[in-house]
Amino acid sequence: MPRLPYHLLRLTSKSPLLQLLLRECRDLESARNELRWLREHAISSVQNAGGHRDERNDSWKPLLRSLCVKRASGKPLQYLLGSEFFGDIEVACKPGVLIPRPETAAAVTYFAERLCSAARKLPSTLRVLDLCCGTGCIPLLFQHVFAKNWPNARDPPHLSLVGADISADAVQLAEHNRLLLQQSLTGRSNAGSTWASRHALDSTAFFQADVLRPEQSPNPQGIPDLMTVLRQIDVPEWDILISNPPYISSQSFHRDTQRSVRLFEPKTALVPPRPGSSDPGTSQDLDEGDTFYPRLLQIAQDVGAKIVLMEVADLQQASRVAALASDTSVWDGIEIWRDHPRGKGPHLEKCRGEFPVRGSGHGRSVVCWRGEGTEWLQMM
Amino acid sequence: MLRSAWICSRCLFRAIERPSRRWQRSFRTTTRLSHLSENLLTRARAIASEHATLKKQLEKDYDVQTAKRAGELSRTADLLKELERLKDALRELDNLIRDPTTDNELRSLASDDVSDTNSALETTTQALTNSLVPRHPFEDLPCLIEIRPGAGGSEAALFAGDLLHMYQSYCVNSGLPYSLLKYEDADGVGDPNGSDRQLTEAIMEVNGTGAYGKLRCEAGVHRVQRVPATEAKGRVHTSAASVLVLPSFPDDHASGEDFNDPKSDFFIDLKEVRQEVMRARGAGGQHVNKTESAVRLTHIPTNTTVSIQDSRSQIANRDKAWRLLRSRIAQIRREAREDEMRDMKRSVVGVAKVGRGDKIRTYNFQQQRVTDHRSGFSIHSLEDAIEGGSSLEQVMDSVRKWMIDQEVAQLVAIESNNT
Ligand SMILES: C[S@@+](CC[C@H](N)C(=O)[O-])C[C@H]1O[C@@H](n2cnc3c(N)ncnc32)[C@H](O)[C@@H]1O
Repeated sequence: MPRLPYHLLRLTSKSPLLQLLLRECRDLESARNELRWLREHAISSVQNAGGHRDERNDSWKPLLRSLCVKRASGKPLQYLLGSEFFGDIEVACKPGVLIPRPETAAAVTYFAERLCSAARKLPSTLRVLDLCCGTGCIPLLFQHVFAKNWPNARDPPHLSLVGADISADAVQLAEHNRLLLQQSLTGRSNAGSTWASRHALDSTAFFQADVLRPEQSPNPQGIPDLMTVLRQIDVPEWDILISNPPYISSQSFHRDTQRSVRLFEPKTALVPPRPGSSDPGTSQDLDEGDTFYPRLLQIAQDVGAKIVLMEVADLQQASRVAALASDTSVWDGIEIWRDHPRGKGPHLEKCRGEFPVRGSGHGRSVVCWRGEGTEWLQMM
Repeated sequence: MLRSAWICSRCLFRAIERPSRRWQRSFRTTTRLSHLSENLLTRARAIASEHATLKKQLEKDYDVQTAKRAGELSRTADLLKELERLKDALRELDNLIRDPTTDNELRSLASDDVSDTNSALETTTQALTNSLVPRHPFEDLPCLIEIRPGAGGSEAALFAGDLLHMYQSYCVNSGLPYSLLKYEDADGVGDPNGSDRQLTEAIMEVNGTGAYGKLRCEAGVHRVQRVPATEAKGRVHTSAASVLVLPSFPDDHASGEDFNDPKSDFFIDLKEVRQEVMRARGAGGQHVNKTESAVRLTHIPTNTTVSIQDSRSQIANRDKAWRLLRSRIAQIRREAREDEMRDMKRSVVGVAKVGRGDKIRTYNFQQQRVTDHRSGFSIHSLEDAIEGGSSLEQVMDSVRKWMIDQEVAQLVAIESNNT
């Protein structure tokens, strides 16, 4: 690890905790913020456990120190504090399940807002499938933004949301997050958006399923394949498919990921299995990192999705995935969104002369639509 | 040492326990004036005489416009008449009491009357003042108080922390709910509830109705004179901290202010604001896990920047930042307008300008004295003032009175210039 700049060491010489945090934060401003958050967390943990009312009781200090030591070793702040803010909502996090990223929240928020602005065109029931759901953050935020932005004058569509993940820990955490959000709504006013959210959360569910396995071939651990699960819950058709699948190649994993991501977040959430290794049907010349996309596009077709929103690593992967989608020739339109899709307004640039790119930042999502999906996204 | 006496947390709790009903009552009237200033009287007399002229005119030939104007002025004219009647009564009672020939029973009756008359006088004075002074348009709103150390190094930073503590206690004492929007000390981890660390910036939002009306008199440079805890030779240092008080608009529905109305002071064209968020270095997405949630907004035309990083939620930071930016921009616009007005007035009549950079108050620990340089009011109970106690309220009240007087003086000046 590179040494800390001397001026930072000197600045923090009076605060050993800040010095600890600086190892991971690298700049004073974020080290200060993290120390404040960890401190608040330590104090409230001690209060909740022992019921000490007096903040000046020092018993939280050893706890704070041990939190800082863990943080200095690279353990993500969100695992230490137990949650992360994802757009407008707070999502519980725990080791073993990937921490949700702000870029995902930006895309989901923008997507749900756009659908709301086409309220007149949307069907009375909207079914949303989220594959590789992790903490469940995507469907939970989707329904939240949807309820918040839905125009008052209209009845909101009935939302039905399902998330699936191969990891049992993830599925459990996602369900926990659903309950937390539901609890946060109790006692709130009965405003339209609260009402809509309650209903949507009632019809949200998470299942364990292997997305990559072809139908009828349970994986060695006995985890069912996705299509089997969908048949079991008896909902074969889905309007919208969203996915933030593992998309980092093993080379990029070692080269480009942050140390704390590499050491502390689950690798199965980040790096997909080598293409073709699990599904002999997919093409062998697929780029490493792209494993999930042909399968996701196939599922989209099988469930009759009208819109697909898939997260990717960068503009190159976006172009490859857009090309894969275009090869299926079932989509009426394909677009690439950057980190901040609203960013530079409606200006669309052409990428490789093929697919329009929207917003500012890194290439982040590929969006495909067809049929009614065209109207829902107002892509006419 | 003195410091520990007013920095420790116990003081804050003591302040919470202190019964405060007595003083909430005194808040209902924003200003308690026991006598009218020359300026107010001059203005009241001018209005009364205009009223008399209009009434004579109306007797000769009736005209709706004139009648309307006379109606507007009648309240002030009537109140002035009442005031003069009360003053006469007081004088007579006084004479009666002083007169050695008055018998004892009559004298005691007269003294009873004196206190009644005095309180009636106070009410009337208040009513008359209100009829003369236009209410500040944002009087009823909640407010933001921003505190920053000025010249004077670490001692200034400590003093800024003391001021924050003073206003927090003041809010507790007067039943005004408040929250800290931003609190930063040299370590970035200070304890807002009474740390003795050096404050670099604090922003508190005071939420009761009328908070702006009560606290706007606090805006300006506050100066402290004391021996710093760190000063070995026992020398008195002078340092300062600045206090900014802005009306706050929690959301556009509550305040009735429409943020989308380009005529509103709070209107901000989205295109004129640059929003910077801390973005992940490198690839972003699954590759990195960042914890930075800071949001910085810059209003390009005025080069006003606010940055908020209190919460782990970027959305929450963004909302706070917008609230702050709107308040600051509105303040800038209002000040620009007021400056223009003041310049105009000065060019005609030479009304004194109190610059925003001038010191408004001194806290002298050696003499246990707080002096406000605007009202000229001094009080020798510094400890109580700095604990947000009733002495502070007394100082503030003297300033509110002074502010009203200034406004009236300007009105008088403008009017005498127009005629
Ligand atoms: C990048 S994470 C995304 C989590 C969440 N959607 C988010 O945005 O924070 C990818 C998720 O895919 C899951 N996953 C990996 N392989 C899978 C498979 N074959 N089938 C289903 N889920 C899988 C991992 O457990 C992990 O939770």
